[in-house]
Amino acid sequence: MATADVPGGSGSLLSIRTQQRVKRVAVYLTALLISVFVVVPVYIMVAIAIQSPAAVFAGGNVNLVPHSVTFRNFAVLLDTTSTVTYFANTLLVTAGSTLLSTAIAIAAGYGLTRFQFRAKSFAARAVLFSYMFSPIVLAIPLYVIYYRLGLVNSYFGLMLALTAISAPFAIWLMWQYFQTVPIALEESAWVRGAGRWRTLWDVVLPVARPGYISAAIFSFAVAWNDFTMARVVMSNDSMYTINLGASLFLDRVTIGWGATMAVSLLICIPPFIIALFLQNYLLQGFNVGGLE
Amino acid sequence: MAEPIHLEDVRKEYRTAGVTHVAVDDLTLSLPAGSFTTIVGPSGCGKTTTLRMIAGLETPTSGRISFGETDVTDLPPQRRNCAMVFQSIALYPHMTVRGNIGYGLKIRGVPKAERDAKIEAAAETLQITEQLEKMPSELSGGQQQRVALGGAFVQDPDVLLLDEPMSDLDAKLKAELRVEVQRLHQEMDATVVYVTHDQTEAMTMSDHVVLLNDGRLEQFAPPGELFDYPRSEYVARFIGTPSTNVLDCTVEETADGPAVVGDGFSMPVDSLADAVGETVRLGVRPQYLSPDAGDHRLDLTVEVVEQLGTEYVVHATLGDGTRIDVVSDAVAHLRPGDQFVAGFDREHAFVFDANGDTVLFGDAPATEHAPNSTP
Repeated sequence: MATADVPGGSGSLLSIRTQQRVKRVAVYLTALLISVFVVVPVYIMVAIAIQSPAAVFAGGNVNLVPHSVTFRNFAVLLDTTSTVTYFANTLLVTAGSTLLSTAIAIAAGYGLTRFQFRAKSFAARAVLFSYMFSPIVLAIPLYVIYYRLGLVNSYFGLMLALTAISAPFAIWLMWQYFQTVPIALEESAWVRGAGRWRTLWDVVLPVARPGYISAAIFSFAVAWNDFTMARVVMSNDSMYTINLGASLFLDRVTIGWGATMAVSLLICIPPFIIALFLQNYLLQGFNVGGLE
Repeated sequence: MAEPIHLEDVRKEYRTAGVTHVAVDDLTLSLPAGSFTTIVGPSGCGKTTTLRMIAGLETPTSGRISFGETDVTDLPPQRRNCAMVFQSIALYPHMTVRGNIGYGLKIRGVPKAERDAKIEAAAETLQITEQLEKMPSELSGGQQQRVALGGAFVQDPDVLLLDEPMSDLDAKLKAELRVEVQRLHQEMDATVVYVTHDQTEAMTMSDHVVLLNDGRLEQFAPPGELFDYPRSEYVARFIGTPSTNVLDCTVEETADGPAVVGDGFSMPVDSLADAVGETVRLGVRPQYLSPDAGDHRLDLTVEVVEQLGTEYVVHATLGDGTRIDVVSDAVAHLRPGDQFVAGFDREHAFVFDANGDTVLFGDAPATEHAPNSTP
């Protein structure tokens, strides 16, 4: 974004004006292409969710221009499925994992920037490397471990599994962010008599707020959108998360496309709200991480 | 209560990748209670490290530090009753000016009413009353520095430490804040240690100056003494602007007895009879070189003339290429390339031996001048 004002390289053959025009067209084209792949599916989901199945499939075609709005599909979800339980499970597990992951990220990030210890950079790199593994790679070994520990079919077990996926990146983010918090701020508080914990609470955390909010949002997204770990850890239907539960809807005769799209719509709402209200923090946090 | 600060053989070493770097090399100092001491020196000479060891932010590798009777070497910064103003100013961006100034008091559990009274008194002294409810980012650089000073002031510390607090300010603000810092020092009951690389600040503000060179103490003396009786060539060149002129000379036996002989002049010095044949260096401050005057003359070629208000600085060269600066108000007519003669009197010359130590201040051997405040 910041580069938009910077004149083009002096070595270029094109005039700065032309370069800017080309750049603008390129940005719009890219945005258009992305929105085709994002907006169209979302639109189809919404259109099917808010019409009655009869209206959608009237006349043998899929009717994507709603003529009437109905909440019938949502009523079906409530009446015939455990959607509410699934949602409650997901909220519980997501909240727990987000808190845990953010707390770990703050502690580890602070330690990595403020203390000298043996093999520090190795530890930091190992953390980031562990992020390279896809959850499914970890799934089977994790199941074996969980089975031994009795963590299968437990909310806490799923929270831990989700934290294992989100924490590496969250740690890396906080590590980067704490590097931008001047040590002089802390030293100034120490000289004034504040201990390390007090300083962390009064000075470091308020200053690092964009960083840990970004880490929390990321951890939230990982936990909320998870399917794999819930599939591995949970085998008891009453403990399913919403993604896992919803994936089974289509197998059932009583639930049609309308209700499936309705549950998808519900799944989208929390991330949408979070992105809406916290996007400024998210951008600040990621900018520091060099992901501008 | 202001406390004297004693440093005893304080040494700080850093080890990076197996290489030991000595930042502070066996420093011994005694700063009287309530005094204003400036630690000055070029970048990397260990002055900030020394200050941070006094604050407790660094631990000395060896040696002891005490405030009065209390040995503070192993005390954490929280328990030393120091106040410190940082080079980066270090205001908390999420607190108002009021919160920033009062944070130290808040930690000590001072009740809010009392806190506010102290904050407002400090704000008045520093002329930032209008800014109390603003955030630091809304303030100018000078105002931010005043807030930092205010935070140190309300704490009523035994020791006030300032780490190059003005290095990022422009010249006019520097001059203003120099006065402000001295005013605070008079109002506070604290021993002040001020670190700077700017010798003007050191000379104008302090009772004592500590000049460090590569971690070692070069000289510890009141500013005037540092100027008039530099202990070494290093001190003579560091203190005073423009820097002291230094000429390569030899001690020779002449018709007038032993003399320091340089390019075009011969300065008799009886006391150097033992040193005949040795190489020495002669130091003369630019202020003591006058055109067409003085007992000993130098033939100079003008390179650049700078005007400084009523005075001029002439940057010139001797026949052998040695650079010589002359400060005078009678050189306005000189142009680059002009030849002129400038001279000095013996009483204003320093003679340094081959190691750079001062052996003569004018006539008097350095050993006869026993500076009263040097440890």
